[in-house]
Amino acid sequence: MKFRAKIVDGACLNHFTRISNMIAKLAKTCTLRISPDKLNFILCDKLANGGVSMWCELEQENFFNEFQMEGVSAENNEIYLELTSENLSRALKTAQNARALKIKLTNKHFPCLTVSVELLSMSSSSRIVTHDIPIKVIPRKLWKDLQEPVVPDPDVSIYLPVLKTMKSVVEKMKNISNHLVIEANLDGELNLKIETELVCVTTHFKDLGNPPLDVVFKCIPIILASESTHEDRNVEHMAEVHIDIRKLLQFLAGQQVNPTKALCNIVNNKMVHFDLLHEDVSLQYFIPALS
Amino acid sequence: MAAMLKCVMSGSQVKVFGKAVQALSRISDEFWLDPSKKGLALRCVNSSRSAYGCVLFSPVFFQHYQWSALVKMSENELDTTLHLKCKLGMKSILPIFRCLNSLERNIEKCRIFTRSDKCKVVIQFFYRHGIKRTHNICFQESQPLQVIFDKNVCTNTLMIQPRLLADAIVLFTSSQEEVTLAVTPLNFCLKSSNEESMDLSNAVHSEMFVGSDEFDFFQIGMDTEITFCFKELKGILTFSEATHAPISIYFDFPGKPLALSIDDMLVEANFILATLADEQSRASSPQSLCLSQKRKRSDLIEKKAGKNVTGQALECISKKAAPRRLYPKETLTNISALENCGSPAMKRVDGDVSEVSESSVSNTEEVPGSLCLRKFSCMFFGAVSSDQQEHFNHPFDSLARASDSEEDMNNGSFSIF
Repeated sequence: MKFRAKIVDGACLNHFTRISNMIAKLAKTCTLRISPDKLNFILCDKLANGGVSMWCELEQENFFNEFQMEGVSAENNEIYLELTSENLSRALKTAQNARALKIKLTNKHFPCLTVSVELLSMSSSSRIVTHDIPIKVIPRKLWKDLQEPVVPDPDVSIYLPVLKTMKSVVEKMKNISNHLVIEANLDGELNLKIETELVCVTTHFKDLGNPPLDVVFKCIPIILASESTHEDRNVEHMAEVHIDIRKLLQFLAGQQVNPTKALCNIVNNKMVHFDLLHEDVSLQYFIPALS
Repeated sequence: MAAMLKCVMSGSQVKVFGKAVQALSRISDEFWLDPSKKGLALRCVNSSRSAYGCVLFSPVFFQHYQWSALVKMSENELDTTLHLKCKLGMKSILPIFRCLNSLERNIEKCRIFTRSDKCKVVIQFFYRHGIKRTHNICFQESQPLQVIFDKNVCTNTLMIQPRLLADAIVLFTSSQEEVTLAVTPLNFCLKSSNEESMDLSNAVHSEMFVGSDEFDFFQIGMDTEITFCFKELKGILTFSEATHAPISIYFDFPGKPLALSIDDMLVEANFILATLADEQSRASSPQSLCLSQKRKRSDLIEKKAGKNVTGQALECISKKAAPRRLYPKETLTNISALENCGSPAMKRVDGDVSEVSESSVSNTEEVPGSLCLRKFSCMFFGAVSSDQQEHFNHPFDSLARASDSEEDMNNGSFSIF
């Protein structure tokens, strides 16, 4: 198993650092999947995560100008590593004005992802900063749990409002109750509702727009049963899901920068699926309904 | 006339003073106000005696500086001079010196004086429009400690801009307990301590290599790797933000303390940190550094059970130091934690009433306390000499080197911080 990669472009490095910061906010521990074309940050829907799952994907050639990997075997040319997300983001943070950043898989007493940065300094000699991040190699038999989640057939699909606004609203609501209802319809309306014995608070977002079906399902060909096409249903009918507000808040807190594209798919009373695009990095986040 | 202190500072001087207090608060919860002819020294030592800080403000730093000591006449014509023994808690002082930037802007003058009759320190801030803020803080009567450490004989000396240290510090998390400094004649490396990262398999090991040309001064006598507490390193960085002087680092081999100094003519700050001794040196028989023979006991030592016993000599264990014994009868001890200093024995030497601690801790004794404390060698302390006159005459004479003869010892005196 081998992996070495290098970033020399400042903008790419900053973008990669931002992605890593976001992952650190979304998942304490996550899986890094390395394949010849892509890097994925994965959180699978175990009970420990509260049923939340995450799939983040980036094309390696958009970031690295050197990228070499050799997977577990020729047929399974992939590497799955488990790491503490904050360790990676902190290491990358020290690479602010780096001439070059190298990441490689090493084995120093225990398996590590070594991040090595060459920093610009005042004098002729550069400073070299190295971080050895301990990792765990995930054996092949567990890979099946870490595959790309299936995007479910949503009842409603809607574009999200400005995430910063959504976050400040949800933050205030958290003080009232942990039980939040997200509901949306095909008329571009999204509501966030909190209800207790004493008070009921609802925030209404309007004119958000609903993505067309091909955007929702990307390139996956879908055979829609004619009876359940969206046109038949009343566009004002709300699909809703009851979720733990803290999970939504954690997701929103991870979005430091407003994404290029953000939409949300609701499966009535089952789950909410967030589909974001940060420039060229896609992030999918699934929050299950409260049982 | 009682021992007292009175000084006046301007707004910008208060900022430097406040930064000094903040820096010392990283080491300990208490500090001593120790005025003398040399100026006003703020001294502190941490509870495990593995770190010592001293910031000395020279008399010309202040707008006005006045101090006095009490001279006690005794029958046998041996006058003793009693200096101010004033210990303050950080909890009382830190809130007073908060928001230093706004203090610098808004105050016209700050006055600090002591009232020995009431054991109080009074700090007054004079603002515009006749507004005055007064704080009365009770102090504890306590003999200040000094560390005896000679910077000039250290094999390795570095001088760096504070910016470099600040850049290095961001590499490590606040949970990092120890860091290792590794130097060769050509380069410098600050890294997380190996011992720590071995224990915790989740800890990131970080290193920063810096070329020697980034240093203002780079003199390395031998390849060295020393390990010390990270938190205390941050303390001197806090203070360096107040002055613009570079930071000097003096060190030797593992086990011998490391000194971090800032000297900008008006203020001199010294942080002496214990370093982790090598495995080998702990096993060998410990040897002591000398005690200054001029140290005299001026008054009773206050013994606080298990904590901050003043006037006690703790010895620094160093394998490679040449044996230098002042008192032939002195027992050699390996003190590595405060718990062992519980009951010092009194010992009369050469007619002076000196106090030397004896502890029966052997090399191999397991000491309670954290792993970190157990392994650190202690530093070497002496009570502030009651008669500091001779020290003023030879303030920075270096210690006579590697000599067993007592005559040599009498001539020289240590650099005392």
